[in-house]
Amino acid sequence: MKTSQDPVRDYLSAVEREASALPADRRQELLADLSEHIEVTRAERPDAVIGEILAELGDPRTIAATALAESGSTAAPGPAWGGSGAPVRRGKVHPLVPLLMLALAQLFGIAFPDDGGPLVGGLVRITGAVLLCTSVHWTASRKVIGFLLTFGLPSVAMTVWNLSEGGPEGGGPALAANLAVLVLASATAAWLWRVRRV
Amino acid sequence: MEPGDSTKQARAAAQLRKGVLEYCVLALMRDRPRYGVELLQALEESGALATSQGTVYPLLSRLRRDDLVTTTWQESASGPPRRYYALTDSGRAALDEFTRVWPGFRDAVDTFLATPHPSTGDLA
Repeated sequence: MKTSQDPVRDYLSAVEREASALPADRRQELLADLSEHIEVTRAERPDAVIGEILAELGDPRTIAATALAESGSTAAPGPAWGGSGAPVRRGKVHPLVPLLMLALAQLFGIAFPDDGGPLVGGLVRITGAVLLCTSVHWTASRKVIGFLLTFGLPSVAMTVWNLSEGGPEGGGPALAANLAVLVLASATAAWLWRVRRV
Repeated sequence: MEPGDSTKQARAAAQLRKGVLEYCVLALMRDRPRYGVELLQALEESGALATSQGTVYPLLSRLRRDDLVTTTWQESASGPPRRYYALTDSGRAALDEFTRVWPGFRDAVDTFLATPHPSTGDLA
């Protein structure tokens, strides 16, 4: 291994080289963490030899491999880390927002059946479904169940009704169908609320 | 960490460490925020969880991305400012969950490792 005037810089460039497969922002963050560690350790242990501090940090290749593994284990590629120590607030929409949207979307269609209510309700339901699927509050399998019960099933049912002759055309049967969807969506939303991750 | 460790022994320890390290790191922040070097020292002193120190930073970075910890910079009386790691609500929830399942997990493993194993009694 080639030695130079500055072992810390050599070490960090070795990490940088080994971590070249990492996204640039992750790589910079790792390098910043490591150089901060070296500075703090030097301040706390002024007698320590720099080679010793670097040896404790470990093999640049091992560190880079760990960083790559950790990088791959994150479910959603969040926005770039902003640096400066600010916490990342990813997918932090309150869990009630998608649930209320999914549960109550049908009300628009019931309240304003002829004035674009169904269209508004549909948009609200789609937004709720997107927020549900991108939320951090549920596991993937619960999202799928929630999505199917509050979005998939009602959508299929309404499409079938609209396409077939025998569908509820208004008045009593349509109201009953709308209420059934409302109850199903609300029950599912209540279940999702109970099983949410906090 | 001894070079004399057989490969298999080292692998078992590494596998175990991989599974529990993040919860031990979270547990270290349970009572108060800690900075990186401080966390590493505590792991080092534990013996079993001591690891190549540099590999803990990618872990801390993921905990931060997953919103289990937040970081704040604080000035220090000696040397550069330190980046302190603190539990978020979800970090605390993850730690509580681990704390809840761990005893059962530990006891189950102990039972399997215990000799004589209850279910092999008839064969002996």
